[in-house]
Amino acid sequence: MSQPTERALIRLAADGDARAVRALYDRYAPRVYAVVRRIAGDDDLAQDYAQEAWIRAIRALPTFRGDSRFSTWLHRIAVNAALQALRKTETRRKREGPRPVDVPIAPAHRDSLLQKRLERALDGLPEGMRRVLILHDVEGYTHEEIGDVLGVTAGTSKSQLFKARSKMRALLADLDGAVQEPGAEAWSI
Amino acid sequence: MEHLTHERLAALVDEPSTADERTHLATCEHCAAELEGFREQSAALGALPELLPPQGDWKVLEARLRSEGLINDPGVFQRLGLARTPAWMKAAAAVLLFLGGTGTGAVMARPAASDGAGLMADRIVTVEDAASAVRAAEQQYVSAVTEYRQLLAADGGEGVDVDPISRFAALEHLVRVSQAAVRQAPGDPFLNGFLASAMAERDAALRMVSSGQDNWF
Repeated sequence: MSQPTERALIRLAADGDARAVRALYDRYAPRVYAVVRRIAGDDDLAQDYAQEAWIRAIRALPTFRGDSRFSTWLHRIAVNAALQALRKTETRRKREGPRPVDVPIAPAHRDSLLQKRLERALDGLPEGMRRVLILHDVEGYTHEEIGDVLGVTAGTSKSQLFKARSKMRALLADLDGAVQEPGAEAWSI
Repeated sequence: MEHLTHERLAALVDEPSTADERTHLATCEHCAAELEGFREQSAALGALPELLPPQGDWKVLEARLRSEGLINDPGVFQRLGLARTPAWMKAAAAVLLFLGGTGTGAVMARPAASDGAGLMADRIVTVEDAASAVRAAEQQYVSAVTEYRQLLAADGGEGVDVDPISRFAALEHLVRVSQAAVRQAPGDPFLNGFLASAMAERDAALRMVSSGQDNWF
């Protein structure tokens, strides 16, 4: 059985080939969804944001020239789409009132207590801190790259990051103090 | 020296420390443990796995992509592997398809006439004769397309790059839709020709699936 190359898939997908688009989706959806979910801090919003990211990416496929890796290109689109959508959501929330405090995390793919607690603590961070912490510590962006994406200086990014790490550590400590699930391992960070 | 602040400790995960800070960290177990905690936290965040999107996500996305015209089902030329061929070759293939389709349709629409020898036969007198003519037309069509593919391959063109199972399923669907259309307008030569072409192509796809050739993925 022959596997089409990624380049061939991209070319077909740019021509509107549904199976090629599906193949790209299958390959990269977990990566796209992960970054979008963490930026959104909410499962329902994450699905909307991820869809928006894919729509943008497929729309922009004909402009992809292969100067960077496709995964990098797609990741950047996903981050930008999520950040832009989040800004719109925040604007709407300010008009409509506060968001619900307790937003559950879908447990299906959080298979470890450590991961579950990290995700929950991330969701508890203020938006600005969460964005910087995710982009830097989770996604590996530099402060300069974060500055470009968020429209802030590298110094502001650093300052936000250190505050976010500190806040995150406090949130994790709070979660440690919460009721432990039976048989749950101790949180060590 | 007083304990380092949490924000400063958070910074020291990836920022250089001063001489005073190093001295303090060497002697203060509390601050050293806190710094280690911040390092572990950043390492754990960096190791967070990818997340699977919710079930049904693709279906929703597919519907949106389709509604915006960003994806589509392969057209006739793509199904035949002709999507990236020169325009004149497409035009030639279109003429072939048109003649095959309308010719077959005309034969089927004719009340009675032929001996069932082929498309150009004009003496179909029974239903069996008509069916025979249709089969002959199908064979002609399949042979023409096969020859075309071989010529295309010999000419350095790209091969047929499709998943035969999906293609068969799509053609089967096309046949059912075409059959329904013919039931609505039994005498329409175009619809009859289209049905005959679709059936022939479906059968060819079935043979390809049976022989296990050309799996796309």
